[in-house]
Amino acid sequence: MNRITDFQEGDSLPPIQLAPVTRLDLIKYAGASGDFNPIHTIDAEAEGAGLPGIIAHGMWTMGNLAKIFTPYLEEGFIQDYAIRFKGMVFLEDVITLKATVVEKKQRQVIFQVQAVNQSDKDVLKGDLVFLL
Amino acid sequence: MVFDYAPFLIEAGKIKEFAKALQLENPIYRDEETAKSAGYRGIPVPPTFMTVIDFWNDRNFYQFFADFLKLNPNHVLHGEQSYEYHKVILAGDTIAAQVRVKEQFHKKGKNFFLLETIYRNQWNEITAVGRATIIEIAEVD
Repeated sequence: MNRITDFQEGDSLPPIQLAPVTRLDLIKYAGASGDFNPIHTIDAEAEGAGLPGIIAHGMWTMGNLAKIFTPYLEEGFIQDYAIRFKGMVFLEDVITLKATVVEKKQRQVIFQVQAVNQSDKDVLKGDLVFLL
Repeated sequence: MVFDYAPFLIEAGKIKEFAKALQLENPIYRDEETAKSAGYRGIPVPPTFMTVIDFWNDRNFYQFFADFLKLNPNHVLHGEQSYEYHKVILAGDTIAAQVRVKEQFHKKGKNFFLLETIYRNQWNEITAVGRATIIEIAEVD
C-alpha cells in the first residue's frame, strides 16, 4: 500500500466511490450521530421544508470523506479538516470522494478534498492537513 | 456568552456504531489491539465524531438551539464546518465541550451564526476545536 509520504504535489489519493445513498444509510447515521432532524429521514418533513425529498446530513458526507484517509492512520494524524457544503445529497446519488495534494511541507501534507455526485457536481469541498 | 454541554463519556461501543454507520472499515475503530499497534493508547474516534458529542450529551445541541439561540434546530442549514485537532480523543475519555456564538449577521435575507466549540478532556486539555456556519432558513407553510 502507498504511504502518504509517497504522494507528491498534484497527486491524488485513490478516489472512493460510495454505493448509491439509501434511506437506511441516513437512518443509521441519524442514530449514531444523534442528529434526528427529520428532513434527513422522513419524506413528508423534507417536503414540508420545501425539499424535493430527504437529503443526507452534511456531516454524513463529511464523515464519509474522512474514509479516504483512514488507511493512513498509522502514518500520522489529521490536524485540520475544513469544508464547505456546496450541494445537497439525495437518495440514490452516487458520491465520489477525492483528495489531491496541493502542498507538501516537512511534516504536513495539505490536501484539497472534495465529494462530487454522479453529475460531477461538488457537494462538499475543502482542505485537510495531514500531520506526519 | 458560552453554553456548556454536559460532560460526555466516550464509549467504545459508540465509536464502533459511528464508524459502522459511515462504513469506516479500519479495525482501529473497533479493536483496541489494532489501535495500539497503530500507535494509539486506545481506540481513537473518527475525525467527525465530535458531532456525536454535540448531539448525544445530556445538555446538547438541541437545548443550545432552543434555549440559548432561540432557533428551531430543524430550520437551519449547515454551511461550513471545520475541525482543528490538538489531541486524539480515545475511548474512555470524558469530553466536556463549550460552544459559543462567535459572530452573528444577516446577509441576503438570511441569519448566519458562526459557532465555535471547544472540546476538553478529563485533564482539561483541549482535544479539538470545531467551527460551524449555521444558516437559518425560513419555515415553509
